[in-house]
Amino acid sequence: MTFSKGQNPQGGPSRRTLITSVAAAGAAVAAGLYRFTDLFVKHYVPTPYDDVLAALLDREHAAKLGALVTGTPAPTALAARLRAILKPDGLNPNGLTAAAKADAAAGRIIAVDGWLLPESVALLSALAARA
Amino acid sequence: MLEPDLAIIGGGPAGISLALALASTRLNILLLESGGLNFDPQNQKMYAGTESGLGYIALDAGRLRFLGGSTNHWGGWCRPLDAIDFEARDWVPHSGWPFPKKALEAYYPRAQALVEAGPWLYDKADANVAALGALLPLGDGGVYTSWFQFSKTRDSELPTYFGHRYQDELKRASRVTPLLNANVTAIRLSPDARRVERLDAATLDSQGGADKTFTVKPRITVLACGGMENARLLLASNDVMAKGIGNQNDLVGRFFADNPIPRDVATLVSFAGPLAPYYGNNLALANGPVLRATLSPTHAFRRTRQVAGSLTTVEQPVEMDDTGKAAVITTAIALGVDASNAKAYSLGCGMELLPDPERRLRLTGEKDALGLPRLQLTMRMAETDFALYHDTLRELGRQLLASRTGMLRITRRENWSGNMDWGNHHLGTTRMHDDPKQGVVNADSQVHGVGNLYVAGSSVFPTYGASNPTLNLIALTLRLADHLKKVAA
Repeated sequence: MTFSKGQNPQGGPSRRTLITSVAAAGAAVAAGLYRFTDLFVKHYVPTPYDDVLAALLDREHAAKLGALVTGTPAPTALAARLRAILKPDGLNPNGLTAAAKADAAAGRIIAVDGWLLPESVALLSALAARA
Repeated sequence: MLEPDLAIIGGGPAGISLALALASTRLNILLLESGGLNFDPQNQKMYAGTESGLGYIALDAGRLRFLGGSTNHWGGWCRPLDAIDFEARDWVPHSGWPFPKKALEAYYPRAQALVEAGPWLYDKADANVAALGALLPLGDGGVYTSWFQFSKTRDSELPTYFGHRYQDELKRASRVTPLLNANVTAIRLSPDARRVERLDAATLDSQGGADKTFTVKPRITVLACGGMENARLLLASNDVMAKGIGNQNDLVGRFFADNPIPRDVATLVSFAGPLAPYYGNNLALANGPVLRATLSPTHAFRRTRQVAGSLTTVEQPVEMDDTGKAAVITTAIALGVDASNAKAYSLGCGMELLPDPERRLRLTGEKDALGLPRLQLTMRMAETDFALYHDTLRELGRQLLASRTGMLRITRRENWSGNMDWGNHHLGTTRMHDDPKQGVVNADSQVHGVGNLYVAGSSVFPTYGASNPTLNLIALTLRLADHLKKVAA
């Protein structure tokens, strides 16, 4: 009697098959758990603009709004512009708050579907929609 | 033939206020009111006319022809004109009253008493409403919370209908003779066109046809029958002056205006939750006055940004769609504020139109039951009028963001016209100007060139402001009363 590779001579699955199966099952559970946490924290495919998008605490709503922004440059140029806007106070939510307040004070307002938004918020939302 | 010292043509708020203001003088006053004490459909038909251009209220629907005039359907909204409304402004063509607001200030308290709007608060009302909720914080900027007050009569009955309210006082005034159902059909000038010699008048029979005619020969005549009828009677009285009285420079009937009231011009979101109740409702204070907040451009903003007057009011709570919710969530988070209790409201507005000589009343070939030619209104509104108000709304939106208290969505401009009402404020058709080439009446409301003929009411407003005209036209009429006291003496 001969045994094919991976077959247990005592009749059960080989050790290698067992490990592979357990690993696959583990990966499936992990993926499920990962998706489950989407309920709490949305996961996005990495983009070249994640450093800028880190300023958004709610990227999903921003993307919904940003889909209605018109006339913005391509994402790469838009991200570069936003880096310049946010840089003084940081590429983070605090930086966005400072930029948004400064925009409102200076009258840098963009209308999106009629909603008057600080320019930084409108541009960042547009990037979220395109990223 | 009746021979009073003073004939007042029209028993609306101007005519009644003038009669009451002069009742204690030695003048014998005849108040000629075309209607009776109540609405009469036959009499009301005398107002019918035609229209062209922008859709507008039928000429016999936006005004009322009986004692009290159009106060019989007014909403009681009162607010003085702003000082800037009187100024000549290079961005407002044909602007500039012949005197500043200061010239009317002495008359406002008496006008306020006549409309029974309680103590004079208006822009001093902030302190009186503190207990009812905080003002919407707007920070520094071009828009601020201003105030309407409301005409109030007895108990909760709103507002002051001048005919019902003052008919007894008119009857009690020994030198005032109110004459009802008396339609003036012509103003007859002397051959040199320098004085009014007599007035032709007629009554209607019960079927709405011509009945009796009579003549009035007053020393002084005041035309006070509303922004449309004042122009109509001047234009129709053309036996001596072929173009009509006061119309030697083709101004009578031109510059007609009203205050457009577009609804749902914007959505205002208050991040902190409901606005204080006086923003969306008329609120009675314990000591009497009824107030409502309005959002008005400051003088400085109007000057620097060259916008017209406007009074934006909160209309009603509205639900936001998904885009609106996304806008509020994203913006509030970005500004670092909590908007979990955010509340949205629709906004409406009373706008000021820029003067336009082509928005005008003309006589037609059709005549009413007493032979007076009917009117045709050419109504129009420039895109600039909307654009100027849009600038004010945008400033309001900016201020809400800057103060981190809320945000604004401006409704698509093309929807404004579809949701537009009118104030039924008939303005400008016998405009006031010192120069006869630019105005029908002078600073004393006297028709240029006709020594004993005056015009009272909002038809003399050369620019209009956004404030409702009744309080202002009464103040102006009281000023005229003081002038007539001097003239008659």
